[in-house]
Amino acid sequence: MAGKSYNWSEIARNPKYLELKRRKRVFLFGWWGASSAYYFLLPVLSGYFPELFKVKLIGVINFGYLFILSQYVMTFFVALYYTKIANSEFDRMTDELIREIA
Amino acid sequence: MFTRILSAMAFVLLLASVGYAAEPVKSPVPTATAAASQPQAASSPGATQTPAAAAAAPTAAAAGAKAAVPAAPPRVKPNRAITITMFLAIIGVTLCVVVWAAKRTSSASDFYAAGGGITGLQNGWAIAGDYMSAASFLGMSGLISLYGIDGFMYAVGPAFSFIVILLVIAEPCRNAGKYTLGDILSFRTSPKPVRAVAALSTVTVSLFYLIAQMVGAGKLMQVLLDIPYRVSVIGVGVLMIGYVFFGGMKATTWVQIIKASLLMTGTCLLALLVMVKAGMNPMQFFADIVGHPHIQDHVRMAVLKDPLPVPGFDYGQRFMEPGLFLKNPLDQISLGMAWALGAAGLPHILMRFFTVPSAKEARKSIVIALFINGSFFFLINIIGFGAALHLSPQLIGSVDKGGNMATLLLAQFLGGGAGSLGGDIFLAFICAVAFATILAVVSGLVLAASAAIAHDVYVNIIMDGKADQHTQVKVARVTSVFVGVAAIIMGLMAEKENVVALVALAFAVAASGNFPAIILSLFWKRFNTSGVICALLIGTLTALGLVLISPVMTYPQKVADDARKIVVTLEKKIAGGTVLADKDLKALDKARVDFAKNDGGSSMVGLKAPIFALKNPGIVSVPIGFLAAILGTLLFRDKRAEEMFDEIEVRQITGLGISQGSDH
Repeated sequence: MAGKSYNWSEIARNPKYLELKRRKRVFLFGWWGASSAYYFLLPVLSGYFPELFKVKLIGVINFGYLFILSQYVMTFFVALYYTKIANSEFDRMTDELIREIA
Repeated sequence: MFTRILSAMAFVLLLASVGYAAEPVKSPVPTATAAASQPQAASSPGATQTPAAAAAAPTAAAAGAKAAVPAAPPRVKPNRAITITMFLAIIGVTLCVVVWAAKRTSSASDFYAAGGGITGLQNGWAIAGDYMSAASFLGMSGLISLYGIDGFMYAVGPAFSFIVILLVIAEPCRNAGKYTLGDILSFRTSPKPVRAVAALSTVTVSLFYLIAQMVGAGKLMQVLLDIPYRVSVIGVGVLMIGYVFFGGMKATTWVQIIKASLLMTGTCLLALLVMVKAGMNPMQFFADIVGHPHIQDHVRMAVLKDPLPVPGFDYGQRFMEPGLFLKNPLDQISLGMAWALGAAGLPHILMRFFTVPSAKEARKSIVIALFINGSFFFLINIIGFGAALHLSPQLIGSVDKGGNMATLLLAQFLGGGAGSLGGDIFLAFICAVAFATILAVVSGLVLAASAAIAHDVYVNIIMDGKADQHTQVKVARVTSVFVGVAAIIMGLMAEKENVVALVALAFAVAASGNFPAIILSLFWKRFNTSGVICALLIGTLTALGLVLISPVMTYPQKVADDARKIVVTLEKKIAGGTVLADKDLKALDKARVDFAKNDGGSSMVGLKAPIFALKNPGIVSVPIGFLAAILGTLLFRDKRAEEMFDEIEVRQITGLGISQGSDH
């Protein structure tokens, strides 16, 4: 490992660290849960409520097709939103913490 | 040293022998009675991952060709000269990459993690490449061309799996790990047993996946170019060993990047041409599909099996509605779970996070991979529907029952048709891309399996981590040869086997064993040695056990019953005075043989029919994996593991003390 050794338990009690950890947890697990719920909606709706998928919305294109497309939009959105938050917030907080320790 | 490696390999072989099914029991009961129905339903979902698995059931053509469309063109005939030239060009380019990479591979970190010198962008393409197997390229579009929207729904799982990886796997693993799954899991547990089990699991998952790919490759080459099965399996095997042996992760990554860009080029071109044909108007495109008589007939006769149209039922619109292929909702949820969590636990994907210098780059690479793959699957949907519209599902189904030739046929058609120069060149290009895809994917798998054996078993268990760089690289190289040779041998032996089960299995094991172990290692303070071992062993065994008794295995009795139906129907026809066409006579002979061979037989584990109803065990085995991990942990209290939690947590959150690929 990189030559330097750290006092891990001391860092683990640092208020800045605790704040970073809390925010990351809430964000990551929150979005994981929410996006999973949306994802599993697909097999559940198509399997148990197929009539809904058959509703034609634009010409012959039905709700099912658009719902599948929306899954892609959802993943793109979550990925971009996370990148934004991580780049601005989490990385900044991490840098501050590392500067304080060093 | 070599004896040790040998014993490690013997163990691998032993393990892999689980991979092939036993010969069905033969019972010579000749039949005189018989009748026709379809052979087995279309390929199972796993088929998307293994193109040729279902692909090369050429036999089925007779009974499967049930349409009034084109006469009998059931083959894709690429121009051998052009195709082989393109193959050689790809081999040539990749070998140059290998030579270049070999000069830069001297330390263990070079070999396993490309020295940490891959950028986020490059790694994004490489990860995207790992997802775009020949299976998704050929299988998924085929599925769409035969079953409409269900095939498209299928592709959501891979795209979503990136979210799980992005949020909870990639960055923490990059921060806390080094080269392998074993590194992460053994961080605060007893290293030796945990590494041993982690290596076992990595090798299992990688080999299952690898064998499926090898068999797929062999059959694909056989169908396309008449290259004998053995020759292509050995050829692909030798190339992949060469890539890994000389170039390690660096070569593997670049081969993957080259392949991914070729694949995206081919896919974009195909989709673009389809849209140009539709006047760039998606509304018109889908209206054409729904209104096409071939598609309406296909849905009515081949899929829904209505001999006479139900008045007022819109069979064309039905193509755009779910349920033609994915029939059991629970199975879909289970499959969705295996995708969402399994991909995050696949060792060859995990390894890619260690090739970038920081968590930030790991994050970037996942987002890039997500965008590439998201676009890829969207384009595949256009290609699949385009193939259905322009070629008709009947033709695609008659060339290959699982639809795996749809993309290739479409390329030939859009290039100017069979026999035209444009058609030949485009088809040859797409064949070459499929070939490059297989090469790139198998190389990554060989690397992952050899890293587990060389790094976890040899260096850290046998040598207690005391091996110099030179020895480590040498051992890793030797191991890659053994893994590659083992894969070739198993690929040759599995020619006649149903490899679809193996892919389902790889994902199920990764989701039920590896995933709980990784996530709890990173986020649960009390998690300890016994928890890791319970998760990996019980999760893996549950998934394995459930797949063995599931419908994806081959059940000779079912094959025999189906054959019997064909014989009965056809013989009734003969008795009724009908003169059978050649095609039907052949089908009759084949059905008789199939019946004789399979009647009274039982599956690999001695079953007449599946006990577990789902094709994918995820919905049962993932919770069991988690439960085993939790119970195993609570059984023993490990103070050290709890004390060290601070360290792994601080590391994974902040990246402090990150293992740099360049640490020598």
